[in-house]
Amino acid sequence: MAYRRSIYAKEDEKAEINLSPMIDCIFILLIFFIVTTVFVEKPDATIEKPFALTDSNLEKNSLILAITEDNKIIYGSREISLAGVSLHVRQNILKNEMPVIIQADVNANHNVFSKVWSECKRAGAKKISISTLKD
Amino acid sequence: MPRRSLLDESENELEINLSPMIDCIFILLIFFIVTTVFVEEAGIQLNKPDSTVLSSDQESDDVSFTITANNKLLYKGQEIALSQVKEIVRNGLSGKDTPVSIKTSGKSRHGLLVEVWDRAKQAGAIKLSFNSVN
Repeated sequence: MAYRRSIYAKEDEKAEINLSPMIDCIFILLIFFIVTTVFVEKPDATIEKPFALTDSNLEKNSLILAITEDNKIIYGSREISLAGVSLHVRQNILKNEMPVIIQADVNANHNVFSKVWSECKRAGAKKISISTLKD
Repeated sequence: MPRRSLLDESENELEINLSPMIDCIFILLIFFIVTTVFVEEAGIQLNKPDSTVLSSDQESDDVSFTITANNKLLYKGQEIALSQVKEIVRNGLSGKDTPVSIKTSGKSRHGLLVEVWDRAKQAGAIKLSFNSVN
């Protein structure tokens, strides 16, 4: 017994776990998350979105504006003014031609929506969509 | 020569210690997991004609709806129900690209415009547009 053991001990002096496969796995996960990460500022407001049958999936990397039930315009977590819309849009889409998504509440005033739409257009947005309920 | 054999025996396998690297990668991984937001937005692209073109392009064969300030839907001056939109658009489309326009009052609900838009699109309208009147 003692003889056997000593042979074993000599063969692999330090019993270590082979970490390489784990590192491979973690790298793959890491790369996946790096690639899929989009830093999008989601509006911090509860919006009752309209339902539409003819909707399609919108691009993930977009600028999102929200119009609440009481006609406030929200970008990120802040309320912005109508004049601020074109400023924010111009600042954020010029780098790469990002589409703009307007999340308007079903009970929002059409006038506000229309003005926000025009402001986005004026600021140079090529593609402006409205957000609908996902089924 | 005997020296070498001694050395060989003391560190049999020379390996890089990978633990700090794994720590780093883990921290990066956790950062990206936490910051990832999966934006899944569904929607419709809306068009509004330029205000300069608006006055001149009143074609006679286009299908034009009106949404009034008190959320009523009108077609040719008569109030219609939402369910009639599809039929009217289908009958009104003479060619594939017959324009369908929705004249919307500024005081109306946003949801109503989307509903009319959706129904017109279901009926096969391609050239859809909305314009706002105060």
